[in-house]
Amino acid sequence: MEWYHWMALATLLFCKTLFVIRLIEIIKRGAPNDLSKPSGSVAKGVRYSYTKAMLPQNKESAYLHPPTFGAGLIFHGGILISILAFIWFILTAIFGWATPEIIPPLCCLCLLGSSFCGVAILCKRVFKRALRALSCADDYLSTAIVTLFQLATAGYFYHSDPLPYYAIASLFFLWLPIGKTRHLLYFFAARYQLGFFYGRRGTWPQ
Amino acid sequence: MITQEQKEKALAILADRADPKLQTHLNSCVRCGLCADSCIYYKAYGEAQYIPAAKVNMITSLYRRYHTTEGKLLPGLVGTRKLNEETAQKMVDLFFGSCTLCGRCAKHCSIGVDIPFLVGKGREMLAAMEIIPKSLQATADMAIQTGNNMGIPVDEFRDTIQWMEEELQEELGDAEAQIPLDETNKQILYTLNPREPKFFPLSIAAMAKIFHAAKESWTISSNYYDVTNYGFFCGNNAQASVMARNLYEETYRLQAKRLVLGECGHGTRAIRWEGPNWLKTTYDFDALSALELIGEYIRQGRIHLDKSLNQKVCTLHDPCNLVRNGGLLKEMRFVVRSAVTHFTEMTPCGTDNFCCGGGGGNLAMSEYNERRLKIGKIKADQIRQTGVKVVITPCHNCVDQLTQLNHTYKLGVEIKTVAEIVADALIINKE
Repeated sequence: MEWYHWMALATLLFCKTLFVIRLIEIIKRGAPNDLSKPSGSVAKGVRYSYTKAMLPQNKESAYLHPPTFGAGLIFHGGILISILAFIWFILTAIFGWATPEIIPPLCCLCLLGSSFCGVAILCKRVFKRALRALSCADDYLSTAIVTLFQLATAGYFYHSDPLPYYAIASLFFLWLPIGKTRHLLYFFAARYQLGFFYGRRGTWPQ
Repeated sequence: MITQEQKEKALAILADRADPKLQTHLNSCVRCGLCADSCIYYKAYGEAQYIPAAKVNMITSLYRRYHTTEGKLLPGLVGTRKLNEETAQKMVDLFFGSCTLCGRCAKHCSIGVDIPFLVGKGREMLAAMEIIPKSLQATADMAIQTGNNMGIPVDEFRDTIQWMEEELQEELGDAEAQIPLDETNKQILYTLNPREPKFFPLSIAAMAKIFHAAKESWTISSNYYDVTNYGFFCGNNAQASVMARNLYEETYRLQAKRLVLGECGHGTRAIRWEGPNWLKTTYDFDALSALELIGEYIRQGRIHLDKSLNQKVCTLHDPCNLVRNGGLLKEMRFVVRSAVTHFTEMTPCGTDNFCCGGGGGNLAMSEYNERRLKIGKIKADQIRQTGVKVVITPCHNCVDQLTQLNHTYKLGVEIKTVAEIVADALIINKE
């Protein structure tokens, strides 16, 4: 283990700590204390919120914008792969494990695709007037950092210099709980609460 | 100028750590902008400021600036805004003049951000600073001072009810038919939108006819019959609580078993869903909408309808507070389909319906009249595409807006409430 491994692990710990604190806060606040008499089922509403309500045919944000929706899905898939790859790289650094041959080309292919989606999302924000008007530095920075992390992960599979990779990974983990990327945690809470609201009132499931 | 005290009161609303929803929704929006097409304001104007995410950003940028470490340390990087006079005026325009709280954006949000909840918090902040559009605040104040938002004197109300009772007796040919006022120990305390006694008294007679046919034991209070709650629209929870408490206590005073909420979308939502939380108590009586009650009568066979009495092609406008925010999609269709021969849906409809444009207190805010009619064109176009002769909606606010759209866009349709269409189809058993 080199110093840059420790640096990246320290930022991961920082990221994890902030998310855990926020998760505890969310859990402590609990479900909304609604005193009205329910006419539907909260459990069914929440289940629907996480499942069918998320299907592209049920959301205008998806079915009216298929390229953006598709790009978003692939981009988020790339984040998951990048985080798993980071853990794998750390484990190989500790235990000296070898990466199976199939993994690097497969991951690289996926990550190049997801990075392309990241760039496309960023371009959309830069060039679309309405979206630009809505955006702040965080919007550009978050997409750029996450895209960069995916590209760096793809490159590192082919034994590029570890320093840039771990520096970028550290930046990613530092920014994750600070920027709008923190929706990683709040997304799940928001969908729960929306399911609670519509479920209790009998609006969901439809 | 905004004083420091006003600012502190407003910002304290965003610091409420006891609210289980607030922190989550303040931290969830990624400003993807995909909610734009779900908003009637953006669809009508195509301006970025009307994107629901922009309204969310107005409040979250304040939250980040004053309540987060990153906002204090890196304000330029994470997108923050200072609360000053300019911001407050922009908030008024966005939260009151550019959002009907219809909730269509939340349903279609890729994350699930409860956007109308956040806009409601923005309205609460403005209420705390006492910066509410004057016309809207005047409507709420009138309800607090007189018991109804139109300031109808009790004597005038009693006269209207007596007049409608005579109309009812004449129509039914039954001198015993009644609109009971202030009677105790009845099954139902029925509430009204003050627009009914003021402008549409026949809708009171229509509901009375249904009660008569169902042989219901019911009454109306001459003091507290107003189902509307403009405190809710103002974001003034103290006023909203007073209005909800008036109906709550009147139900006890008259010892009614059920509180039936007249055809008013936001009023039903305010009393049925928000009221117990404002009053911090559960109701130990049933609070239900007139629509649900009519559905109950049909299912129980307490009223019988002859669809052939309503031959014109009808469509239904779904009030946002009853359908998307109230879960009455199926019930509304059950009742209407039981009462009319020809029914067709608008596209889109149900939980995907577009607001008529009159929601969120818009009808009371004359300063936004032009905007209200422009966003209403979406609904007008929907109605025109159906080719119907009658538009039915169980909400007097929607009735008002649809009536204005009918006139402005020359739709040539009749606008009716559910009670009116059901009353037209009633088979009255003379025995």
